Amino acid sequence: MIKEPRRHQAELLVIGSGLAGMAASLFALARGVSVAQVGNSGVIAFTTGYLDLLGHDERGFVDDPWQALIRLREDEPRHPLANVTENDIRAAFTSFTQSLTEMGLGYTAPGAHNVLALTPAGTLKPTLSLPLTMQPAIAAMAAGLDTLIVDFTGLNGFSAREVVANLSQRWPGLRAARIGFPDMDSGAEVYAEVLARALEVPATRQLLAERIGPLLGSAQALGLPAILGVHRPDHVHRELQSLLGVPVFEIPTMPPAVPGVRLRELFETRLPQCGVALEPQHRVKRLELHTQGVTAHLEDAYGEVTIEAAAAVLATGRFTSGGLRADPNAIRETLVNLAVSQPEGRAHWYRPDYFDPRGHAINRSGVMVDEQWRPLDATGKPAHPRLFAAGSLLAHQDWIRQRCGAGVAIATAYKAVDAATQAARSG
Amino acid sequence: MNTASPIATHTIDFKAAARDLLPPGASYDACLSCGLCSAGCPASGLEGMDPRRFIRMAMLGMNEELSTTPWIWTCTQCQRCKYVCPMSIDVAVLVGLARGAWPTEKKPSGIVRSCEAQLRFPGTSAMGLQEEDFVETVEETVASVRGQGDRFARLEAPIDRQGAHFFVNQNSREPATEPEEMGPLWKIFDYVGADWTYSSTGWAAENFCMFTGDDQAWRKMVEQRVAAVNRLGCKVWLNTECGHSFYTVWKGVERFGLKADFEPASLVSYYARWIREGRLPVNAEWNTQGIKFTVQDPCQLVRKSLGDTMADDIRYVARMLVGEENFIDMAPSRSANYCCGGGGGFLQAGMKEQRWAYGKRKFDQITSTQADYVLTPCHNCHSQIEDLARHFHGGYRVVHFWTLICLSLGMLGEHERKYLGPDLARLGLGA
Repeated sequence: MIKEPRRHQAELLVIGSGLAGMAASLFALARGVSVAQVGNSGVIAFTTGYLDLLGHDERGFVDDPWQALIRLREDEPRHPLANVTENDIRAAFTSFTQSLTEMGLGYTAPGAHNVLALTPAGTLKPTLSLPLTMQPAIAAMAAGLDTLIVDFTGLNGFSAREVVANLSQRWPGLRAARIGFPDMDSGAEVYAEVLARALEVPATRQLLAERIGPLLGSAQALGLPAILGVHRPDHVHRELQSLLGVPVFEIPTMPPAVPGVRLRELFETRLPQCGVALEPQHRVKRLELHTQGVTAHLEDAYGEVTIEAAAAVLATGRFTSGGLRADPNAIRETLVNLAVSQPEGRAHWYRPDYFDPRGHAINRSGVMVDEQWRPLDATGKPAHPRLFAAGSLLAHQDWIRQRCGAGVAIATAYKAVDAATQAARSG
Repeated sequence: MNTASPIATHTIDFKAAARDLLPPGASYDACLSCGLCSAGCPASGLEGMDPRRFIRMAMLGMNEELSTTPWIWTCTQCQRCKYVCPMSIDVAVLVGLARGAWPTEKKPSGIVRSCEAQLRFPGTSAMGLQEEDFVETVEETVASVRGQGDRFARLEAPIDRQGAHFFVNQNSREPATEPEEMGPLWKIFDYVGADWTYSSTGWAAENFCMFTGDDQAWRKMVEQRVAAVNRLGCKVWLNTECGHSFYTVWKGVERFGLKADFEPASLVSYYARWIREGRLPVNAEWNTQGIKFTVQDPCQLVRKSLGDTMADDIRYVARMLVGEENFIDMAPSRSANYCCGGGGGFLQAGMKEQRWAYGKRKFDQITSTQADYVLTPCHNCHSQIEDLARHFHGGYRVVHFWTLICLSLGMLGEHERKYLGPDLARLGLGA
């Protein structure tokens, strides 16, 4: 069968479509750089929606992440965040949350301090920026408002009773209720994503408000699992608040959850509209590096696709996303076979106690970069002058334990795009 | 269909089969059990099954249950589960396998009968339309279109014209039940001066054999169609506004290693090309009432084959036709779009309650756009989305692209407006 070959050309190729890859594309667009992007969605759908900069260090929860970053630069000079200036981190974070807000997914601006936000279990975690649909929880908790938390029959991964039980000492005015979701109350399993899409229909919001209204009683606020729409959450949020007459907030549910699906669908919809040649849900099979740039080869449902670019940012993530692979005796980078900083042998990957507060060495493995964010090869030199790396793929950070996933993704994407743009335009 | 106690011809070892069916490096062992597939699947919960459960049961060796669950006839094999899966796990391939293992008499008879009809005559029509009936209907309808006015006096719908550039297929629905709907398509070809032909063999644009799970029948169907195109020496096999007929031929050629000397293409891509080239100068000036439109991306044309390039063409044509401000996209859309529930033979499977339950999500998506019309270049999408409007009392209509193109160019006849509402019933016809 005869098929036309398909090729894209761009100044910058972004490989990966998690937070770092998406942030890289946004930053490149803001600089007027033409972008092609390829990547499986990876685990972006597993986020709570919170954007952490730095939430935990050896002293415990971090209140002021900017102060903590000063300490980090001293204690962990190789940490990716220790190699980005405070100004750049602020600029990157602010630009990213502004872009999300402008694209229709409202986020709070990063402030001077972390806020303590609710987890699916009703515990608290520090974060820097959160979706506007979740923000009212902070004020309601601070004021100790009488608040009703509602969950739904058949919805796994979110229990209002659990949230109330875990928070009740700190927030005595909390109360739980369980209801059936309109038209999905047979008792069968329901999914947060399905409820969220249903709430995009005005009539469903009306029915839900009619079920919740009588339960409010003296409640001055309402907490729901994160189900307030997928593509217009701020609108759904406002509409439901206006129907119920009290502040409403979302609490993240167990991953994969709606806030992550929102991010994925937002990027997949908006980036192509902004001119990004996006190949969603596909992986680069082979990357050729040559003097004038890179050539990526991939295969989509229809067949082979080739992308030529003057520079590339590698943001392929860690093990789950496929950027790193743990072979029996070594950890390797999967696309270009870059050097990987790692423990000396498998026996040193983990400490004996999985919950050891010091963490595990394997989690700090990853790709090393020079001061230009170019990944290094086995000789310690940049693997290629036009190849850059960003995000959780990078070594010397433990983003889950340090609560710095979004911070590493956004700040390093900002720097890598900066350097890649210069390289791409250097002729 | 009798779903009381279906007994599979043989019980499949799904885990072993997966090893053979999956591309190198892919494995169901990679499943994280995260449930993105199930949350994103409109068939989740039907017949007590969902994609995650299906994969977990396969991994646990629950082969008898999977070989007999009627859920496989409610899964439209739309591959959305694979699309949203962080590990790109394909459930549809196992569903196809399970379908094939059912005894023919237990399979949904509507799908089986449609496939049998296709295999009976060389025209390959699922509605049993024989070649002489097709030729006669085309000739009669050509005469009728020519009678619409001088500008169509030389309009042609050639059959078996050797060496034509385009081999055009035709869904049986039009010649069998609404031949007047072929007029707008021919007028477009006439307008752009396309070098095209129908064929008396292999002309039909439907293929239910793939949906029966019978690979041999699917292969036979594709072989007949490929032979028909090769026989006429056409450069491009132009699939009209239909989804699965494109997928079954394109995928079938690859899967069965057939020799096809032509390029497969979707008519919508050519609409887009002709509009860009100025050969089809459509505009939205007719839409003075600000009538709102959305589009349905057929899974078979977008996610499963041509990708977002196709989705972009669909939107380009739609926007040019109805006006930027009158086009409202569904969310999610393009490759992430939801199947409407008309695919996979579901429309023919006789499982109405399940099909409506499946389609509720599509209905909600359409409703939240508040569009007056849904444009879709797929007959199964068209029928299902119309049926959803009837069942759930929706306020929208479903329309073909060819109808709007001819409306925009002022050449839509009085009897070619079956799918338009009162708002457009007389537009452009004069007093």
